[in-house]
Formats: sequence, C-alpha cells, structure tokens
Amino acid sequence: MATLASAPEPRTLQQGRRVLFQPGLVLKLVVLAILVLLIVAPMTGTVLFTLTPDAITAWSDVLVGRLAPNLFWWPLVNTMVIGVVCGVVCVLLGGFLAWAVVMTNIPFRRTIGVMATLPFMIPSFATALAWGGLFKNDRIGGDVGWLQGMGIDIPDWLAWGMVPTLVVLILHYFSLAFTIIAASLATVNSDLVEAAQIAGAKGRKILMGIILPVTTPALIAAGSLCFAGAVSNFAAPALLGLPVRMQTLSTRLFGMIEVGQTARGFVIGILLVLISALFLWLGNRAVSGRRSYATITGKGGRAKRFDLGPMRWPLFAVAALILLCATVVPVIILIASSLAPSSAFLFSNWTLHYWIGTSTANIAQGTPGIWHNPDIMWATTVTLGLGLCVAFTGMFVGLLASYTTARYRSGWLSASIMQISFLPLLIPGIAFGAAYIAFFGAPIGPLPALYGTFAILVIAGTGYLLPFSVQTGRAVIQQVSGELEESARLTGASFARRMWAITVPLAIRGLAAGGILIFVKIIRDLSLVVLLFTPTMPVMSVVAFRYASEGFTQFAHAITVLILIISIIATLLSNRLQTKSQPWLKA
Amino acid sequence: MLELKNLTKSFGDVPAVRDVSLSVPDGAFLVLLGPSGCGKTTLLRMLAGLELPTAGQILFEGNVVSDGDRQWQVDPAKRNSGLVFQSYALWPHMTVRGNVDWPLKVAGLETAARTQRVDEVLAMLEINQLAERYPNEISGGQQQRVAIARTIAPKPGVLLFDEPLSNLDAKLRVEMRTELMRLHRATGATAVYVTHDQIEAMTMATHVAVVNKGRIEQFGAPQDLIDHPASAFVATFVGTPPNNIVPVVRSGAGWQVAGRPMDITPPLDDCLAMFRADSLSVALTEGPRSLPMELVEVSTIAGRTMATALAGGLRLTAVLDRPPAARVGDRVHIGLPPVPDAWFTPYGERIA
Ligand SMILES: Nc1ncnc2c1ncn2[C@@H]1O[C@H](COP(=O)(O)OP(=O)(O)O)[C@@H](O)[C@H]1O
Ligand SMILES: [Mg+2]
Repeated sequence: MATLASAPEPRTLQQGRRVLFQPGLVLKLVVLAILVLLIVAPMTGTVLFTLTPDAITAWSDVLVGRLAPNLFWWPLVNTMVIGVVCGVVCVLLGGFLAWAVVMTNIPFRRTIGVMATLPFMIPSFATALAWGGLFKNDRIGGDVGWLQGMGIDIPDWLAWGMVPTLVVLILHYFSLAFTIIAASLATVNSDLVEAAQIAGAKGRKILMGIILPVTTPALIAAGSLCFAGAVSNFAAPALLGLPVRMQTLSTRLFGMIEVGQTARGFVIGILLVLISALFLWLGNRAVSGRRSYATITGKGGRAKRFDLGPMRWPLFAVAALILLCATVVPVIILIASSLAPSSAFLFSNWTLHYWIGTSTANIAQGTPGIWHNPDIMWATTVTLGLGLCVAFTGMFVGLLASYTTARYRSGWLSASIMQISFLPLLIPGIAFGAAYIAFFGAPIGPLPALYGTFAILVIAGTGYLLPFSVQTGRAVIQQVSGELEESARLTGASFARRMWAITVPLAIRGLAAGGILIFVKIIRDLSLVVLLFTPTMPVMSVVAFRYASEGFTQFAHAITVLILIISIIATLLSNRLQTKSQPWLKA
Repeated sequence: MLELKNLTKSFGDVPAVRDVSLSVPDGAFLVLLGPSGCGKTTLLRMLAGLELPTAGQILFEGNVVSDGDRQWQVDPAKRNSGLVFQSYALWPHMTVRGNVDWPLKVAGLETAARTQRVDEVLAMLEINQLAERYPNEISGGQQQRVAIARTIAPKPGVLLFDEPLSNLDAKLRVEMRTELMRLHRATGATAVYVTHDQIEAMTMATHVAVVNKGRIEQFGAPQDLIDHPASAFVATFVGTPPNNIVPVVRSGAGWQVAGRPMDITPPLDDCLAMFRADSLSVALTEGPRSLPMELVEVSTIAGRTMATALAGGLRLTAVLDRPPAARVGDRVHIGLPPVPDAWFTPYGERIA
C-alpha cells in the first residue's frame, strides 16, 4: 500500500477481540446492579421486612387494629387535607403569579419572576422555624414569638397545627407551581391570543377559552407535584403540628421509628409511598391523556400584554406581599432571632453570643455559640462532607446511567435503568430514610451494619437524588454527541483516556452545575436524613430540628441561617462557574 | 485489497445491509451511492469497526478485520482505517491543532514527530493559519478540512468518508471534490466514500456500488453504470439527467406505452422500457410514437436544453439541442425512439 514518503511503518493489524456479549451488556448490568442496591433493594427490603412473621401483625395494627385510627386513619386525613389544600392553593397562587409575570404588564415583572422561584430554595424547615419565631404563643411553654411578645394575643389555631403547616407548605411549594405554569404559559404563542382578540374575544373569554385549555396539562402537573411534595413533607408538620399532637403520615412514621416500633413505622412508610405515587401517577395520566398543545406553535414574540389598567398596582401589591412573605420575611426573622436573646423581643438586645459566644452558664443552659460548639461544628463538617460526597457519587452514578442508556438505547435493561432511576421521585424522603434503615440497618452478608455511619448517609443521599443526577447527566451526555466519542474511539484511546480527554472536558460545566445542585439539595434536606441521624454522625438540618424541638430556638435559627448562607454561596459559585469563559464556547 | 463477503447487518429484525459482497484493489476510490436510508452509513460503520456485522466478513489486505459469523472483530483503532464523520465530530474544546494532534498522541508518537506530521497535514489541507483556532471559530468548509486532516494524520490505509460534502454549499462542494481526489492520490490510501449524490460518485469514483434497500444493485466503474445500468433503479439513479423509464404492457394484439397503443416489440408482455434523455424529442403536435404531457421545467445546461414533462405519475426528461417552442405549462408531445435503450422486467431487472 502506498503511503506518503514520510510515513511511519503502517500499523500492523493486531489481535482482534471476540465480542462475546451484546455490546454494553456489562456496563448495563453494572449500572443496574448499582440502582438495585441504591433503590430497589431498600424498598423491597422494607416490604419484605413487614411481611416476616414477627412483623406482619403491624399491617393489621396500622389498618384495622384498636390503635388504627390514631396510627393511620387520622394522620391520613390530616395528610390528605394538607395535600389537597396545598395542591389547589399552590396552583392558584403560582398560576396567578405566572399569569401576571408572563402575560400582563404588571410593574417589575422580571423581578417578580425571579423572586417567585426563590421560595423553593429556602428549605421548608426554615420557613416553619420562622413561623414559630413570629407566631409562637405560650401554649406549650418556652419562649413566645415576636407578635405575642408585642402584646398581640395569638390564638392556638394560628400558632400551631393545621393552619400554620398549610401556610408554610404553600409558601414553599407555590414556587414550584409557578415555575411549571410559567414555562407552559411562555409557550402560548402571542399569535394565539391575538387571533382570539381579532375574533372579538375579550380578556375573560381569552383566559377561559384559549389560555386555560392550553395550559391545563401544566396545571395538573403542578398540582400533583405540589400535592406529592406536601403529603411527604416532614419539617412543617413536625415543627408546627407535633407540639399539639397533630400527626401526619410522615410524622407518624418518624415517631414510630423513634420509639422503636419499626414494623409499624415501615408499614406507614409503605402506605405513604403508595399514596404519593398514586397521585403523581394520576396526575401524569391526566396529562398524558391529553394532547399537548404547547408544542404545536412556535414561540412568537409577545408583542402585546394584557393591560391591567388601574389594577396594575393593586395586583403588584398582592404579588409583592406574597413573595415577601415567602422569601424576605422568613430570612429576616431567622437572622434576627439568631441574634436576639428572646424571640419575644426579636429586634432588641442583639448579641452574637449564639454565633460566636463561649459557654456562659446563664444563657441557654451553658450551650456555647455555634462557632465554639463542637457538636455543631462537627455537624457542619459532616454536612459539608456529605454534600461533597453525594454530589460526587450522584453525578458519577447519574452520568454512568445516562451514558449507558444513551449509548445503548435498546433493550429492556436500558428501559429498566431509566424507570428505576426515576423511582425515587415517587418516594417521600422520610420513607426513603426508613427503607435504608430497614435494609442497611442490619449486617448484609459480610458487610457490617451501616446504621450510624457516614456511608449510609452518602448512599441514601445518592439514591434519593438520583432522578436529579440522571437528568443532569442526560443533559450533559447530549452535549457530548455519540460521534464525538466515537471519533475518539477510532484513535484507539482507552475508555479512561477518552473520558479524561474528551468527555469530561466537554461535560465539566454541566457536571459542576449538576453537582452543586445536588450539594445544595442534600445539605438543606431534613426528611431523608432525620431518621438516619445519629449523634456520632449529625447533620446540620437535623441538629437544627433537635435544637428547635428542645426550645433552643436561637441555635436552631443560627444553624438554619448558616445552611442558607452555604446554599447561596454554592449557587453563586455554580453561576460563576457557568459563566467562566471557555474559549471554545465563545461566539 | 478491500473485500466484503456476504456482509449483512440487522438491527433487531430489521435488515439494514443485506448480503453485500465486493472487492476493490488498494488505492481504489470506492463510492457507495444510494438514496437516504439505504444502509450506506451502516456499511461504513461496519468498515470502521464501529458496528459488528450480523453475518459475513470484511477483509483488509487479506486479513479478516470483522467476522459477523464468528461475532468477532478487530478493534476500530487497530484496523488501519480512518473515518470522517458526516457531522465532522470535531472536539469542540480542542484547537484545530489539538484535534489533529490528539489521535497521534494516543498512538504514542514522539512530540517532534507529531509536530512535524501535524504541520504537514495542516499545510496539505491549507489550514495551517487556523491551527490555534477552535472549531466554532472557523467556517463549515474549514471544519471539513480539519476533520479530514485529523483522519489522514495517522496515515490510515483505508479512508472512510460519510457524505463529507453534504453540509457544504454548492460551490465549496465542487472545490472540495477536487481537493479530496488530490488528497486521495497523495496518500495512496484506499478510500470508501458514501454519498447520495450521483454526480459526486461519477466524478470521483474508480468503483461505484449502487446501494438500494441494503443491497448492492450494481457494482462497477462509473461509465459502466451509465452504459449498462443493471436495473431500472440504477438507470434512474445515475446520469445527468437520469434515464427515463416508461411502462409497457400488453393490450390485446399490441402493446401500450404509458397507456397509449404504440408500435413496439418488447421482449415480455409486461416490462419497462428505458430511454436516454437525448433520445427523446419534444414537439407541439402528435407524432407516430409520442405521449401527450404537460411541460413543467425547461433549463439550459452547457448549451443544450433540458426539458421535463409530466403526465399522471410519469415524469420524462429530454435533452434537446435547442429550446422547445412551447412554454412551461403548455401541452407538448414527447416523441420516443422506436427502440428503447434497454428493457427491464416490471421488477426492475435488466432483460436486454
Ligand atoms: N442503530 C440503529 N438501530 C436501529 N436501526 C438503525 C440503526 N442505524 C441505522 N438503522 C436503520 O438502518 C437503515 C439504514 O440506515 P443508514 O445506514 O443510516 O442509512 P443511510 O446512511 O444510507 O441514510 C435505516 O432504516 C435506519 O433506520
Ligand atoms: Mg447516512
């Protein structure tokens, strides 16, 4: 064969290799094994545990026994009330804001749009703690809230139980509804609205006849997600309901496991998963049964918005009030009450004692400020380590799973990998935590019991956040098209080398952003870790929760503020990283 | 020598490439020509070692590199072949130099040898002044050159191209065609070039394989395909303009050509007649062997006129010495010669 004069010796053909399996089989099996270990095994382990002879009576205890109303049925009623009210109100509130931002000329539209996405970033236990700082009355003793301290008598229904739980959850989840509905409204082509206007329809007709039908799938999706979020939420009912014995399924589950009635706890957890999954499934079915109209039209420039006329400023005031209550107010209260010796006088006698003070016998029973408090510092270290580890393992597994399914799309193995990796979306965090106790709490074969170790936290966090990491991983993989990787394969570079030189550099931005998202999600999570918590392996959110339950509100609030600060720094870092110039992305 | 033996590839139950056998000598320029979806890319990916054949073998210089029957193949990187992807697949985070250099680095070449080879290849493709740019900072045509440079740098014995010119504009395409042929001569590598554009095939190839529905319809030199199309598909796929195919069916004692009784003697009761474009004529009045049709296109090509007429589903193109007197939209009569240039069965197989 003729080659150029300066050519090196033609490469000799080397020994080929037999392709024993269908390509990718090994990889698929590895990924599937990881997913089974992270998700399937704990879930089935929990179910199987409740079916063992010793535990099987738990089912009848919970469902029909003498204690059943207290154990299950009343908490179920509370849970459903919370879910339904929260789902409906969140859709109304989020829908209103989305409509105002996307379709009207409300003042400060953009600011409102940004603000409306923030509440979901504030963990619900922060909002619940802030509520206490403001509304707590003397019903259960301890420090009262600011309003009571100002001499306003706060009735029990406003201080504790269902109403505050609902308000806190709504202030948290409406922001999720807003995001979904606004995205859908944005796809309503302005031509669509203008065509209706030309046909003579007026505001109300257009809303009912055009906009509502087009966005129905988004409304249903938003409603069912808010429902599922609210029924599985642990922090709000635990902080605001438990002191007055209002139980939901998630607080019941927590209580059962705390007092050692594990089997009953697991049964309640399984029922909670079923309820949450059922509604998500119903919502999904309702949406997929409909034609999706959103994609039919391209996105046109929105030339005209609804003119709100004289209602502009009143509506703005309403929107601003809601958003302030959901974002600024809780943060201010948390900061203030981490500085004030008494939450009854939130804005007086501020001291940094709870932050940097050393132990003083007459303040908080000698508990030193968080800076000098070894327990809290240890919890902070554990939490940061947990965040980093889960971000790393999460992105690793997420990337591996999405790479495998993207590259070897066909076959039932790939389909099951996809299905399983999105399973945790249906599972409330606290039930997930319970499942991990059931599965990893006892030794498995030669492996020691993992309960109380750092490892179980990392494994649980990785499994729980897998839907997010797989989603991020998929987006990343799509940036690195198959042919880019194949052309690297043709050069003979090994898998590791291709990863290192081609795939990772291309994917690093997406990976880092995804990792930070996971980091933030895990450090502010309470429901997943509350059951896995042990004093030797504490995490910040649970420590804050414990302090709050014991009446050391300043510490609880200070830790929560710390979590918020870390989240904000991480988010800013991720933004910075995203915009950091990379020459090949210019132009 | 590059040899394919009964090569077959199925995705699940769907065959994409069926029983393909051919061989070309070293240094040949083999063009795989066929419509979109006929299995060209699949064939090329099997040559590159990216897909394992379901059955059959691929041999480079007498060595089996892929064996579908034994489900065995040589690793893509060890087959002494290089592939230029249709999308170019340039690594966006590496400069032009980096893109060309990296495969050499993977191959374990010394830095000095690499620098020399990269410079040489960049100069060969006239992109040396772009060396430090990133792929998104250069034009499509330049990206194409980088993709080719990257592929030829390690001096593969077999060069594979997947529709390399399809993303370029018409003028650039003609330039690149010449460039690729020059490059092929310079490297001496065997080239396998996939395209759906028969002009590319006719101008560049030493050997053409016309592929249809995963099968080779005809394999030969470009001129062979024009002179002796082996099937009705080939007859209508190659040539500028392509040949005309008219159905001829028996009707009572005589035959009907496209539904009109005509004096003609086909070898079978039902068959297809092929007429070359320059054997047709266009007239305003009916002739002894003519079909009434609507004139739909008239264009001038190299001093001659190409006229296309339409009737029912039949589309005929004639090449004339001077423009017809009719205008587009007029009814014209397309005159057929008494003897067609070839006969095919109703299934497209050549009879005579
Ligand atoms: N990875 C694949 N999985 C399933 N079917 C495929 C795959 N690749 C190609 N095909 C099918 O094989 C046939 C030939 O495809 P391809 O080789 O890409 O055609 P061409 O390159 O000639 O346009 C098509 O019908 C295509 O749908
Ligand atoms: Mg193709």
